[in-house]
Amino acid sequence: MASIDLRDASVEFKIYNARGRSLRNSLMQRVGGRIEGASGDHVCIRALDHITLSLRPGDRVALLGHNGAGKSTMLRLLSGVYEPSGGAADITGSVATLLDLSMGMDFEMTGRQNVILRAVFLGMKRAEARKLVPEIAAFSELGDYLDLPMRTYSSGMVLRLAFGVSTAIQPDIILMDEMISVGDAEFAVKARARLETMLSAARIFVLASHDLATLRQYCNRAIWLKEGRIVADGPIEDVLHRFEDRAAHGDQGALSGNVAHA
Amino acid sequence: MGKTRYWPRARKDIVEGLASWRIYWALGIGDIRQRYARSRFGQFWITLSMAIFVVSIGTVYGFLFHQDLHQFLPYVACNYVTWALIAGLITDSSTVFTQSETYLRHEPLPKTVFVMRMLVRHLMNFAHNILIVPAVFLVMRHGVHWTVLLAPLGLLVVMAGGLFSGYLLGVLCTRFRDLPQIVQNLVQIVFFVTPVMWPSSTLHGAAAWLVHLNPFAAMMRLVSEPLLGDVPGWRTVGLACATLVVLGALALALFARFRARIVYWL
Repeated sequence: MASIDLRDASVEFKIYNARGRSLRNSLMQRVGGRIEGASGDHVCIRALDHITLSLRPGDRVALLGHNGAGKSTMLRLLSGVYEPSGGAADITGSVATLLDLSMGMDFEMTGRQNVILRAVFLGMKRAEARKLVPEIAAFSELGDYLDLPMRTYSSGMVLRLAFGVSTAIQPDIILMDEMISVGDAEFAVKARARLETMLSAARIFVLASHDLATLRQYCNRAIWLKEGRIVADGPIEDVLHRFEDRAAHGDQGALSGNVAHA
Repeated sequence: MGKTRYWPRARKDIVEGLASWRIYWALGIGDIRQRYARSRFGQFWITLSMAIFVVSIGTVYGFLFHQDLHQFLPYVACNYVTWALIAGLITDSSTVFTQSETYLRHEPLPKTVFVMRMLVRHLMNFAHNILIVPAVFLVMRHGVHWTVLLAPLGLLVVMAGGLFSGYLLGVLCTRFRDLPQIVQNLVQIVFFVTPVMWPSSTLHGAAAWLVHLNPFAAMMRLVSEPLLGDVPGWRTVGLACATLVVLGALALALFARFRARIVYWL
């Protein structure tokens, strides 16, 4: 069974810094969550503010919102990395966060050793982990490089292997920040197919993205975040319509505001 | 979050963390492998550095304190090998969570896993260092007694202390980033006031409390005295156990209360 329930969950960061006030001033632009008053020597940033939602099997959720709306924080909250500072978060099922594919890879070790290490990390026994190697090796097309230290790899090779390992074990819940694409055109097709297989087999899938076309393609539900709060939550088309309307009416923050807010 | 929720969650973290031995074993061994990667002697540099240090400093101090080297070198070897473990555990306790930042920020693993990672690393270090003890015993013709069998018990107490210290200092040092430096300096000072390199018999009268009331000395002697052929006295055992209990209570209380905040502080 896979499910995620957030009840009145908040994520509040206290930024401890002797120059808290000047930091507060520089953060006063409308980027990011609500900045609460500074008490004493720290500033409070409420990245997520009293969020209540539940995700059930079959949910394919698009996370919408401009930079700093709380999408990444939300992914970390949903994964269990952040435990809410207020409220509760209950997560059932195995979670894969495809947030950092090459996490924990040791470049002095060979590709093969790294595959095994990562599989052990995901809860496998060493013997089980070894059985994964041939399939990942074939997929990543590394050939003899598999038994060379990873420091000899090109960055493309590292990414292929990291992607291969990250998608080798099927989780119940997948959380992703932007759609992953790896390698040259030919490999990218193969990778996309592999990723889509994994996504469709997952019970719950959450994708944060600025690319509305991608969100339409993979998701059936959308959650629109603004300043750490849920503005809208519902069927993807309804939410996207409202979102695009808002964008058209001059809320430049609604669509990807990379440049405007840099 | 209600107060009542801290303890069940902390217990879950500890139980699941300790059960994930495959992960912390792989991480701890990986740390050592990474440090000595591409070196010819590899991790045996640990043993070699320790041997060089113990023999040179033991000889010098032996002459300074007018000690019989046949007695003094084994004494320094057993003490220093154990001290290196204790000092390493304390110093690295301050970075257990900051060192594992990438993992903590991406995977919802129990925090205990990363404390255990540090323990595995130092246990492996100790396993390499302890090799010099039989070598020194052999060269100095020092006898081996049945009391050696008590050393693993002492080691267990030291490792438990390391686990608690990992929880306690790990949490504190993640929140207060000046602490690791302070800890490092304190460990240095404690080294000088603990009878590691000097015989405790050189202290007389009022100064003897340095040894009698020193919890670090008690922990160290729990391992080093059995190696040398003595059964640790009740005072040593009592002090070490009392230290463990106090440390454990403080560590678990702090860990339970602030465990969820660790990632926020990274």
